[in-house]
Amino acid sequence: MKRLRTDLEGREAIADYLQAEFSFLENTGVLAPHPGGRSAGLERLEQFQLEKYGKQRNFLDGEVGQLSPYISRGCLELEEVRQWALRHGKSNSVEKFVSELAWRAFFHLVYEEEGDRILKDMEKPKVSMRRHQTRLPEDIASGETGIPSMDTFIAMLKETGYLHNHTRMYLASYIVHFRRVSWRAGADWMYGLLIDGDFASNHLSWQWVASTFSHKPYIFNRENLERYAGSVLPGDPRKGDPFNYSYEELSEQLFGSEYQPERSRTSGSYR
Amino acid sequence: MPALIWFNEDGLNPQHQMVQDYADAPKVYVFDVNYLKQWAIAKHRVQFIYESLLEIPNIEIYKGETVATLRQLVTDHQANEIITTETPNHLIKSWQDELLKYTNLITYPEVYPATDSRSPRRFSHYWRKSDRAWLTLT
Repeated sequence: MKRLRTDLEGREAIADYLQAEFSFLENTGVLAPHPGGRSAGLERLEQFQLEKYGKQRNFLDGEVGQLSPYISRGCLELEEVRQWALRHGKSNSVEKFVSELAWRAFFHLVYEEEGDRILKDMEKPKVSMRRHQTRLPEDIASGETGIPSMDTFIAMLKETGYLHNHTRMYLASYIVHFRRVSWRAGADWMYGLLIDGDFASNHLSWQWVASTFSHKPYIFNRENLERYAGSVLPGDPRKGDPFNYSYEELSEQLFGSEYQPERSRTSGSYR
Repeated sequence: MPALIWFNEDGLNPQHQMVQDYADAPKVYVFDVNYLKQWAIAKHRVQFIYESLLEIPNIEIYKGETVATLRQLVTDHQANEIITTETPNHLIKSWQDELLKYTNLITYPEVYPATDSRSPRRFSHYWRKSDRAWLTLT
């Protein structure tokens, strides 16, 4: 055991010190935009415009609290954040936000009951995954898939240690369903990279996307990606675009004809 | 009874009730090197945790193997019990279980408005059962 210093000042100095003490850590060379600590968490809470959350939360450039690092690491207590939200009075935004906090608790309660069994399929997958790769392909790990949108998401994850919830779902769906990689390989990888990495929320969300903890697999198409993430994406080439189909077409391509998806609400007619 | 407060990565609140209840207890955190390597934990998380710890007055931060380090610290501080926070994290739980063989352990529970032990396996069911509790200011 070795006692570490606690007299450092400034985030750059801390970064250099930690790199020296933990030389095995991959150095991204940049500071994360979320400084650690309760005071930073309280500041973020103060700046969070909760009234916009209900309408904007699914958009990558919409108003979200980015509180997850602070709640996951316990700098802010989930209960105090819930009480803070409820003091805003009743509204759609408040209800949506509190229900997101409840998702976190729900995952924790399941994890509390199941223990490390959440690292395995919770249920039988609703689509075949027998041939999925069990190792994460190198091009995904390095963010060089050749699809600019996915590579942008991976770069954001590595450079910031944080992703918008919708981005996490896009990446998980891409990896599990479009690339046919086991959800566990993807979940383990993302767990290590996220500041708010938490087996309950992370691994059970991957299982939700995969359909081993939900009624159906989660997939997205070009129309959805452009609608919610278009403003932050560099633009993907249209030729050979794996996402530019209707949901019915994608289901057929990804899962075959045995799987009958529910009819989607969006037309998928972006192209 | 002399106590030692052990923070884990899921509970880094300097104002947590346990800190107030055991105001005189030494406060420690251990960066478990094997865990960081095994799960390829990124530097951003390590720095976030470290920065969070610096807000805890008189924190002692160590790197090493969690259980061995804590056993040594219990001896050094002549503590009879370890105070910590509950987490569902199975790795932290396994360290807590191991420590129980050597010392008393007091864990402060997580607080939720609805903690039915028979948790449904679909969020929609959980929410239907408990939305009123979640949406009521207490």
